[in-house]
Amino acid sequence: MKVVLQDLTKIFPSRDKKAGKEVVAVNNFNFEIPDGKLIGLLGPSGCGKSTTLYMISGLQKPTSGKIFFGDDDVTELPTENRGVGLVFQNYALYPHMTVKQNILFPLENLKGADKMSKEAMLERAYEAAKLVQIDELMDRKPSELSGGQQQRVAIARALVKMPRVLLLDEPLSNLDARLRLQTREEIRRIQRETKITTIFVTHDQEEAMSISDMIVVMKLGVVQQIGQPQEVYDDPVNLFVAKFLGTPPINVFNGKVAGGKLYIGGDAVLEVPGIGDQEVTVGIRPEGFVLDENGPMHCKLSNVEIMGRDVSIVSTNEASLNPVIRSIINADNKVDTSAETVRYSLKPHKVFVFNKETEERIKFEVK
Amino acid sequence: MVDSKHQWKAWIYLSPAIVLLLVFTVWPIINTVRMSFLENYSGLEAVGGATFEFGIGNFQKVIEYKRFINCLKNTILLCVLTVPVSTILALLIAVALNSIKGLQKVLQTIFFLPYVTNSIAIGMVFAAMFNIVGSFYGTQNEIVVTAGIINNVLEFLGFERVNWINAGSSYEANIIVMTVYIVWNALPFKILVLLGGLQSINKQYYDAAKVDGTPRRRVFTKITVPLLSPMLAYVVITGFIGGFKEYSSIVGIFGENMGPVDDVGRLNTMVGFIYDALETNKQGRASAAALILFGIILVVTMINMQVSKKRVHY
Amino acid sequence: MAEKNITIMHAKDMGKETSRQKIVKLAVKFFVYAFLILMALIVLFPFYWMIISSLKTLDEYRLSVPTFWPQKVMFSNYAEAFTTGNLGRLFLNTMYVGVVSTLLSLVITVLCAFAFARLEFKGKDTLFAALLATMMIPGELFTITNYSTVTQLGWMNTFTVLIVPFLVSVFYIYLLRQNFLQIPNELYLAAKVDGTSDLKYLWKVMVPLALPTLISITILKMMGAWNSYIWPRLVANDEAHSLITNGLRNAFTDTTGDVNYPVQMAAVAIVSAPLFLVFLFLRKYIMAGVSRSGIKG
Repeated sequence: MKVVLQDLTKIFPSRDKKAGKEVVAVNNFNFEIPDGKLIGLLGPSGCGKSTTLYMISGLQKPTSGKIFFGDDDVTELPTENRGVGLVFQNYALYPHMTVKQNILFPLENLKGADKMSKEAMLERAYEAAKLVQIDELMDRKPSELSGGQQQRVAIARALVKMPRVLLLDEPLSNLDARLRLQTREEIRRIQRETKITTIFVTHDQEEAMSISDMIVVMKLGVVQQIGQPQEVYDDPVNLFVAKFLGTPPINVFNGKVAGGKLYIGGDAVLEVPGIGDQEVTVGIRPEGFVLDENGPMHCKLSNVEIMGRDVSIVSTNEASLNPVIRSIINADNKVDTSAETVRYSLKPHKVFVFNKETEERIKFEVK
Repeated sequence: MVDSKHQWKAWIYLSPAIVLLLVFTVWPIINTVRMSFLENYSGLEAVGGATFEFGIGNFQKVIEYKRFINCLKNTILLCVLTVPVSTILALLIAVALNSIKGLQKVLQTIFFLPYVTNSIAIGMVFAAMFNIVGSFYGTQNEIVVTAGIINNVLEFLGFERVNWINAGSSYEANIIVMTVYIVWNALPFKILVLLGGLQSINKQYYDAAKVDGTPRRRVFTKITVPLLSPMLAYVVITGFIGGFKEYSSIVGIFGENMGPVDDVGRLNTMVGFIYDALETNKQGRASAAALILFGIILVVTMINMQVSKKRVHY
Repeated sequence: MAEKNITIMHAKDMGKETSRQKIVKLAVKFFVYAFLILMALIVLFPFYWMIISSLKTLDEYRLSVPTFWPQKVMFSNYAEAFTTGNLGRLFLNTMYVGVVSTLLSLVITVLCAFAFARLEFKGKDTLFAALLATMMIPGELFTITNYSTVTQLGWMNTFTVLIVPFLVSVFYIYLLRQNFLQIPNELYLAAKVDGTSDLKYLWKVMVPLALPTLISITILKMMGAWNSYIWPRLVANDEAHSLITNGLRNAFTDTTGDVNYPVQMAAVAIVSAPLFLVFLFLRKYIMAGVSRSGIKG
């Protein structure tokens, strides 16, 4: 099922009437979510990603704009008729029901032509439970399950009625680090198997990047960029997106362009053909640094962290906007830890130049 | 480390409460049991002279006593009528209140008002509403000055006037009046507790139900009631305990006659029986009756708990 | 699995469903409000009837077709009720008993709850459990012996007999102890390090922090004095010590035959008014106190 958001906007009236300022939670969201894909809505808290999810589910009504499922306009359609499955952040499993009863619950609500026999419902419930691998736990109560198991039950409950669209609100935030890794693979697998268009919300960029077919990066209600994870990572449209994606995060510097050359501090670090002379902000991915005895960029070495496959070099530079610069290089490189300065040359496609005022990306030709 | 100096200090803090509890709580428990097992025990012991033999005569007499059986019957009947009615009504009101936004605070305050009233004072208002002023009821020369607002309403709706509480009124009519009044009185506490329970139910359960297209009635029976079951059990248990101690609401309506003027004591309750015995200086009998009351409350509470253990989820 | 079910979701005729659901929603809303307002009117009716009856003349009250608003407003009924019922005296008696017993009760409860919440002594848990167990016993069981006790003490027809036997309430001790326990122990230890005495700590830290609970207890205790009926009837029957509820019940029921209902209703209104006023101003505390008694079970 393709989902189309058209000029979707949500304005909350301000809580404090005297202040009188309304909050624009989602501003003019346009997006066509292709059928059968896994989409991550990504952004810091308060960026409107959950509100968007709730509008798609129908639990919140948009202030303006339209939502389509396929060709049907569902904007005015109440939640119960949309055929969506929603997994809540804290799962919202009914505590007084067993796992089986929880999963059966949506099916028992069907009426009219959709009404199912007891056997058919049970069969379907077990099918869903098997999909998320909890068919052994059917007679337990939610309080007797671990967080990860509860999460699976919640997904099974959302899937059992075979929703047209599956929505997940911060599905991994209540799990510990190890489970999170495991569960996100699980979500990916389930989505692949069912081919249900799935939209999930997260503030964790790694989570979104690792399993999504496409990600949507949002900030303060405004969509910043939509694209495949790698595409967005490699080609961010502005400084916010560049900073939000990637661990360790991108290194940001004050810089300037003069005569087609990019300067950081006194060093002319890169040729940037096509950019006029101006003050700029520069972002360099940690993996964009190459150790080079004759490299143009000078930094003060402070620390070297060896992490097996990679080496992380921590250094400082006066032009840096972060307290330290972190670069990641292959462990095969020998680093002289006693040296005071370290010199780098840069990979051009890992260097992004942004307008100092608007923070929009200024592209240059990479040779 | 608990050193002796510390102990000593703690007991100073406790002493006022402990002394009063020993005199007015612990001693009465012991003494009431003692008195109940002394044949025909009366206050005369205090004056000196009289001695009483050990025996279970008080209990026998109480149980054989017709008035006691009548009191027991009234008490149980009122319990059985008022607890379910008030609980169901309170549940409906609480659920309705919880589902609205406008007027919620105002209505909530109104529904709590009966709690802050004096049950005897408002009982007099109810009595006035049901009271027929006049004389010679049920005879040919009946003179009715005013039939009371309740009867006025009944007649307006095309029903016959009922003699609710006056001389010649039927037992059933009396019980209806008492049920109405007790339910009116019991609603506020139950609504307050149930509404509090409803408001503490996570709203996401309802969102989840909505996403799954759950019909209203199913949401109520499958989600609201089970999640509210601890609170429901609580109001039912306290309702029964309160019901078995019913007394002053009857005084409110009928005065100390505990019944219509031509049938004094008809609506008397267990507690009323205990006080009657006490006032006529039959402490032994009063003690026996009080212990029986305690036993009944204990058993009913235990049954309630047992049932709710099976029914209450988590 | 996926394909066959997606067709199920498609099958719905969505447009129609919406408009019908809207009507259902509106109808439900209407019924909910209608039900609530009807119930509210039933709850309020006795109060309304009390007030308008109290303002009628006796002749108007006795009309066979009732009036829903007094033809002639008789405020004089209130003055009459006040004097016939000797309500002034009853008010003072009740206030005296209420205030004194509340104050003493607060002191005793605070000390006891503090000991149970913060001090260590042998048998603490056993003693507390024993106290809680007494809450199960109906009060009537105590009354019988207490009646003898106060007679022997020679307290009959005094204010003492109305105050002392009910000073300690296990429930209030329990309520306050729970509240005290929520106050972090670090505060107590810090005060110990600073050399603050227990009593000073209790007064300066614990009491202010537990103020809402103390206010709730105060209100419930005052309401108790205002509404108590049985015990005063047993032990303080004389006019000098009569409390408001007893006076009210007695003053207007003795008259055989012609009861002056408007005056009686005026008296009831006068007696009910203070509780209402307290409720209006302290609604939050009363409702919190009452609902917290929900933890009791």
